[in-house]
Amino acid sequence: MSAPGLSLGSLPLSRVPGVAVVLVALCAIFGVLSPGFTTPANIANILSQSTILLLLALPMTIIIMTEGIDLSIGAVLTFSSIVLAVTVIATGSVTLAFFTALAVGLCFGLANGALVALLDIPPFITTLGTLGIAQGLSLLVTDGQSVVGIPPAIEHIYSGTVAGIPLPVIVAALAYFATHALLYHTRFGTYVFALGGNREALRVAGISVRGMLIRVYAFGGVMAGFAALLMTARLNSAHPTAGIGMEFDAIAAVAVGGTSFERGNGWLLGTLLGVIAVGVLRNGLNLLAVPSSTQVACIGAMVIFALFIDGLRSEQ
Amino acid sequence: MADVPLFELRGISKEFPGVKALDDVSFEIRAGEVHMLVGENGAGKSTLMKILCGAYRADRGAFFSNGAPVTIHDASAARQFGIAVIFQDFTLVPYLDIAQNIFLGREFASRVPGFIDRRRIYAEAKRVLDGIGFHIDPREPVHGLGVAQQQMVEIAKALSQDARILVMDEPTAALSDRETELLFSMIARLKAKGVAIIYISHRLSEVFALGDRITVLRDGRKIADLLPKETTPDQLVTLMVGRPVDTTYTRPERPSPGEVALEVKNLSGPSGFSDVNLTVRAGEIVGLCGLVGSGRTEVARAIFGADRVTSGEIRLFGEPIAESIETATRRGMALIPENRKTQGLALARSVGDNIVLAGLRKMFPSGIFVPRRALKAAHAVIDKLRIATPTPRRPVGALSGGNQQKVVIGKWLNADAKFFIFDEPTRGIDVGAKSEIFRLLDGLVHNGAAVLMISSEQIEIVHICDRAYVMRSGRIAGELAHHELTEANIVRLGIHQ
Repeated sequence: MSAPGLSLGSLPLSRVPGVAVVLVALCAIFGVLSPGFTTPANIANILSQSTILLLLALPMTIIIMTEGIDLSIGAVLTFSSIVLAVTVIATGSVTLAFFTALAVGLCFGLANGALVALLDIPPFITTLGTLGIAQGLSLLVTDGQSVVGIPPAIEHIYSGTVAGIPLPVIVAALAYFATHALLYHTRFGTYVFALGGNREALRVAGISVRGMLIRVYAFGGVMAGFAALLMTARLNSAHPTAGIGMEFDAIAAVAVGGTSFERGNGWLLGTLLGVIAVGVLRNGLNLLAVPSSTQVACIGAMVIFALFIDGLRSEQ
Repeated sequence: MADVPLFELRGISKEFPGVKALDDVSFEIRAGEVHMLVGENGAGKSTLMKILCGAYRADRGAFFSNGAPVTIHDASAARQFGIAVIFQDFTLVPYLDIAQNIFLGREFASRVPGFIDRRRIYAEAKRVLDGIGFHIDPREPVHGLGVAQQQMVEIAKALSQDARILVMDEPTAALSDRETELLFSMIARLKAKGVAIIYISHRLSEVFALGDRITVLRDGRKIADLLPKETTPDQLVTLMVGRPVDTTYTRPERPSPGEVALEVKNLSGPSGFSDVNLTVRAGEIVGLCGLVGSGRTEVARAIFGADRVTSGEIRLFGEPIAESIETATRRGMALIPENRKTQGLALARSVGDNIVLAGLRKMFPSGIFVPRRALKAAHAVIDKLRIATPTPRRPVGALSGGNQQKVVIGKWLNADAKFFIFDEPTRGIDVGAKSEIFRLLDGLVHNGAAVLMISSEQIEIVHICDRAYVMRSGRIAGELAHHELTEANIVRLGIHQ
């Protein structure tokens, strides 16, 4: 299912349960185990903390739909965040710093896209390489230290509220609806389905496959740059290891959400639910004082469990 | 229309390194005409069509559209002259809907830049689909459609681009009889609208049922331009192969059947068959026929252990086997699948690698691969089956369809298979090579193997099989002994009453 109304997204009904079951089960478990879980403050907290991940998981969904992957997205987020912090400290201009971060993300995205599309290097290898480059640059620029002394204006971007709703949640919601419109209502989105589903069809239709691939990866880079703003605001600093492993969470969220790694079968709403599931899991385990290393293992188990449920359903 | 053809190719020649693919071929297309293009695999049909649609450039030759000289140097130029190809492997995107597929790359823009005018896309798609008599919701996603429906979407896509010349390459290859009828009635409707159709087919019955004109290619040359009324099937086949070949292979005497190789009792399964009973003896070729969807393939898959079974029993050489491909193959069963390219072969690997694949466990029980021994085994199979390859190191993908089929068979021979299931063994294989496949089947049973053969080509069942079971709606509708085995009987048992 392709064409959804503006309503929900669409897509394989057989996929809904996997992520829905996981989400409901997690909420039930943590609701029972930790009393603080269901408080409005904690729920707002979960949503706020999920926003950065959502900004990465949205483009990741599209990239995965093209049978690609972007392993560099977490490292690019980190490097963009460092550039943003350094720029804002040096110039005092939040706007300039924000656009510089976007530009850094865009450059990495374009580089990924160009390597994949023009040089035919497999996306896994390409983005593994740019992951290393971005990570290395982060350490090089900061000498392994945090970048601190950021003006308070930036911090408000993460902690502020509009009509009681946390600002990052509003930003993430806008990003979600924009990506939804992009995927389901534009030519670009239609061609994303074709990139994964049947590239030959796209070629025969006279659309440049290479141009499309470059745009897809560039979108991922820009979104990572955008997420850098929220990340820097949240930490009130930039840290060269802050985004390590974010690509894992993003890919996990997409997989839990039921997007297939083959044939261009993607589902954006599933990704949103997957992101929330990852957020709920991390938050709940934090409340139970489970160390973060164990949390990663739990996310891994959750991915497998969700796909197992989907597999059960599609077998019937 | 008068006497000016809609489109004309004159004196087309095309050479590939080492091969003269087309030599001075001329071809006329007239409005409202179904022009059959026939010839064996490798005769140059596909090359000619690729030149027509701009995928290849001719070395020499000229094009005329409505009598005026034109050039076609790429696909978009061909489209301008209304030429569209319905490809064998479809150019559809599975997770887009019908309308989005029809207008892929030509979406109607809405007022917002980049956005699609959805209402208009669906309305236009509906109009095109109605125009060809295909009544379906254009919002239906393509991945849920059957092959025939996908083909209709392809045709709608071509027509929406104002195609006046449709090239169809073996369009019925994957269709059931009913779907084929639907396609034929659509072709009649397109003809009435003045659309010209170039139709490539290996099925002689179609050539005569549909064709207004027949062009025969052989070895890159145009051999004949015929009217079906003035031609007989035998004449046509003679022209295609250049030497007289029986369309119907005459089988030699068979030894009397031996022990029971396969015994299936009351087999039922969730994939839609129930209470199936059949036996196959050593030295016998037994047909399993019925319409597409009658459960033939499902039964075969269940026997092979690829699909689940809910009740019943399968015995191979007296021993029960159940739901395991591993035990089935270890006991000497082999399935030669319908789609050899995706299910039977590793196309990029060499002939030799493919031949030893199924017999690895038997040949190298220690687990250590000895290349010399593998090569020797491959040579033995290549000689035995007369596989046309200069060396076992050649990639299988480079061989002809008939020779690829032989490699699949050879793979199982090398694994000491004694019971063979053939699913549509002659699909996509040209007339000359078909006889050779039949000769091979005969050779297998002469050496004591047992064969269960599934085929949609009833005439093949009649000519090659000793007995046949006919399936209908998941059940065995009847068994035909050799003296009862006629096309009419198969059809009578197979159709729904």
